[in-house]
Amino acid sequence: MDKIVNDFTINIATANGTGSQSANLILLQTLFDMGIPVSGKNLFPSNISGLPTWYIVRLSEKGYQAPGDKTHIQILVNPATWEEDLASLEPGTVVIWNMDSKMPMERDDVVSYPVPMTKIARKLNPKLARMIANVVYVGVLAELLGMDQEVLETAISKQFGGKEKAIELNAEAARLGRAYFAEELTKGDSYVVESRDVEEGAFFIEGNEAIALGSIFGGIQMLGWYPITPSSSVAEGIISWLPKLRTHEGKATYAVIQAEDELAAAGMIIGAGWAGARGLTATSGPGISLMQEFIGLAYFAEVPCVFWDVNRVGPSTGLPTRTQQGDLAMLYESSHGDTKHIVFIPGTVEECFEFGWKVFDASEKYQTPVFGFSDLDLGMNKWASRGFEYPDEPIDRGKLVLTQEQMDSIDNYGRYRDVDGDGIPYRTLPGSGLDPILYRGTGHDEDGAYSEKPDVYFKLMQRLKRKIDGARDYLPAPVIKEDSEQDIGVIFYGSMENTISEIEDIVEEKIGKKISTCRVRALPLHSEVEAFMEKHNKIVVVEINRDAQLYGIMRKEYPLHLLDKMLSVAYSDGMPPRGRLYAEQIIAAIEEAEI
Amino acid sequence: MSEKRAKVVKLNIINEPKDSYTGGKSSLCPGCGHDQISNVIISAAWDNGLEPHKIAKMSGIGCSSKTPAYYLGRSHGFNTVHGRMPSVTTGANVVNKDLTYIGVSGDGDSASIGIGQLIHAIRRNVNMVYIVENNGVYGLTKGQYSATADVGSKKKKGPINETQPIDLCAMAINLGCSFVARSFSGSKKQLNALVKAAISHKGFALIDVISPCVTFNNNDESLRSYGYVKDNQAELHSVGYIPHFSPLEQVEVPAGSYRDVTLHDGSTMRLETISDDHDISDAVAALSALHKADEDKKHVTGILYFDGEKPSLDVDLDLHDTPLIEMGEDLLRPTAKQLDEVIASFRG
Repeated sequence: MDKIVNDFTINIATANGTGSQSANLILLQTLFDMGIPVSGKNLFPSNISGLPTWYIVRLSEKGYQAPGDKTHIQILVNPATWEEDLASLEPGTVVIWNMDSKMPMERDDVVSYPVPMTKIARKLNPKLARMIANVVYVGVLAELLGMDQEVLETAISKQFGGKEKAIELNAEAARLGRAYFAEELTKGDSYVVESRDVEEGAFFIEGNEAIALGSIFGGIQMLGWYPITPSSSVAEGIISWLPKLRTHEGKATYAVIQAEDELAAAGMIIGAGWAGARGLTATSGPGISLMQEFIGLAYFAEVPCVFWDVNRVGPSTGLPTRTQQGDLAMLYESSHGDTKHIVFIPGTVEECFEFGWKVFDASEKYQTPVFGFSDLDLGMNKWASRGFEYPDEPIDRGKLVLTQEQMDSIDNYGRYRDVDGDGIPYRTLPGSGLDPILYRGTGHDEDGAYSEKPDVYFKLMQRLKRKIDGARDYLPAPVIKEDSEQDIGVIFYGSMENTISEIEDIVEEKIGKKISTCRVRALPLHSEVEAFMEKHNKIVVVEINRDAQLYGIMRKEYPLHLLDKMLSVAYSDGMPPRGRLYAEQIIAAIEEAEI
Repeated sequence: MSEKRAKVVKLNIINEPKDSYTGGKSSLCPGCGHDQISNVIISAAWDNGLEPHKIAKMSGIGCSSKTPAYYLGRSHGFNTVHGRMPSVTTGANVVNKDLTYIGVSGDGDSASIGIGQLIHAIRRNVNMVYIVENNGVYGLTKGQYSATADVGSKKKKGPINETQPIDLCAMAINLGCSFVARSFSGSKKQLNALVKAAISHKGFALIDVISPCVTFNNNDESLRSYGYVKDNQAELHSVGYIPHFSPLEQVEVPAGSYRDVTLHDGSTMRLETISDDHDISDAVAALSALHKADEDKKHVTGILYFDGEKPSLDVDLDLHDTPLIEMGEDLLRPTAKQLDEVIASFRG
């Protein structure tokens, strides 16, 4: 039998709250520390304990990070999903299953490895048997695949950082799992792992924690937040790092308030922005829905503030622990009336950090609410990174007038007057005594006074439009990889970054054609996106939602001759994007267009 | 001589004329109680010698929330969204704790759409003055009952109100609010003393001011008409205020019994007994006074409850003494070395 090295998918079916997450992270870390390109996807329920959880570990020499199309090795621990999981497997799949779960193994066309996981764990520590049983299957896998024991034990130490008892217990459980396979079972499959050159300095981090750190290096001063999956770990990351990074003379240089609801969280950061500070909230779609009224106020009164939306599946409560790009259109035109907002869209953890600080500069520069748009896949899964680049620009406070001298140098100052012709007015701060006005969400003239005059309102709305439009080429440019043929151009964004290389390969394999790609990183769209569209014969906009939200935005904004060549692939089922699924739809869209 | 006298402009302790505290012309109905409250805010800020630019005037939406345009024209302000002024003030307050925050709101704002925000601002003890201009009706939408309308009261048009009202003072006392008072827009002297004391207090100061709506709720059958409130006010005490810059010993001692309460900035609130002595540190007594007044269809006024010791939000947050908005990049952005250390901790 030919060996299959570092190129397969392991699916681990467990129950939530049983400690399986630790075991799975140990497995992921071990493979990562062996230098094997690996990614992990946690498919967890909206539940604390008892409901089914799956963890997908994909090893891929090509560096594919999507979950893959099929399972090669199945770990069966959870009786609740046992039959369904088993039935879904293709013949020949390796199944490592817990003999003690008293569930039947009725497939004879799979490679079966029965292991008494609970018994082994119980012998070691009866009280913690349920937890330890998970590490037993990691040990079994280690022996089956040929994982390095030393690296495995280092990963266990990392996972239980400093807790000696837990480290020893789990290491022993892994050794027992290993020993059981070696003594009682015979390898009857072809999957193996081999160490590769370890990339120096690489580490795992979740997108949400990268955003948290970016925010801190961006000088966050006020965090107002309300817990909601999958964004809570952005706020919690900020809260855990702030005391270490932002304490001065033993005191806080920041304020954190857990608000009573999302409305209040939005109000707090707008209050902070109005007073002259950098305020941020992190939420998900349902939170943005609640914040809409306040977002309109910040847009209209021109108050800087930052909103991170870590997208989960909507509408309504939706699938709270699944991923989607379903909020993009909502963010872009948040709140009633005519509005338009700046949206930063990271696709990697490095960009989560980078945009984490850049959103503040953009928000103060344009005096407007700015959104960061991530999703559960990018936010809550662990991704490999080589490191983050320290901000290469000083903090930009925008057109802030702090002294009388500055004020005197401005010709015909008015809080909402377009003195420089770029749509961006100057502003003063409360407490400064400089041009005090009553900020308002009602119509106002260039000096901030209440007005319902038609021409005043019309001019104000035109200026606001000009202001946001003017941000296009200031915002992160798209990442473009162009093929020389310039036939098919795929436009995508956000966490689809982690699937795109696999999509490219599958499309090329199937239709013999290379595609160009353009990853949009911000709204309003950068001029390079339009240039990319001009160059290519066919444009396919690929996204993780039902309604083709970016495609819709582009159709609204681009000239007619570009619309003719635009195609859409929009698909969402809650899962992180799988390469084959999108690749096939891209091919179908192109072929259909050619008929 | 008379010519010279005409030029004398009275100045306050920081040498500012009262004009420095006024605002634009009111567009409310002539005779509106809210305008009287605006005048009291102007006087109180002037009397207390606040620097006009160090005040932030905050409001929500409604007749009351329009009033910040009519006072303190030299202060920044924020007319926010309906009922959500407390959260905006909270955010501003923690990043610039050195301003005096005066929030004005109505009963629609405070007892209905924004009651949650009011509750949580009280709970956090945000350092601010929160004035409710309470008339029992929605004025700007033309006279619907609000959640504070008294049972048995009837507005100009429509049926008698049968729905139980929310008493914001009782609610605040139960929440542990550090300064709870009720007043009447027609009692200028009492209101003036209460607003000044509220400014001197560090923490959340709620003043629920009955402010009759002359257009929709000033008829004889209304329990919030000007005439009814004037005749049915039950004063807990007579409230006086002695600013910290006036030596207490030079103030005339009242003939009857009184008690002095020292406020955070060193000013004194002097409460003179009228009939029964009210202990402002006794929450149960305060609730009892409200309950009794309610039974008698009276409006109890004065300071109901006070706690000068409760730490305000900025203290709870352990903020640096320099307001956050005054901090520069050196304090706000950690160094490249710190980033390296963070990354090293991930590499493990």
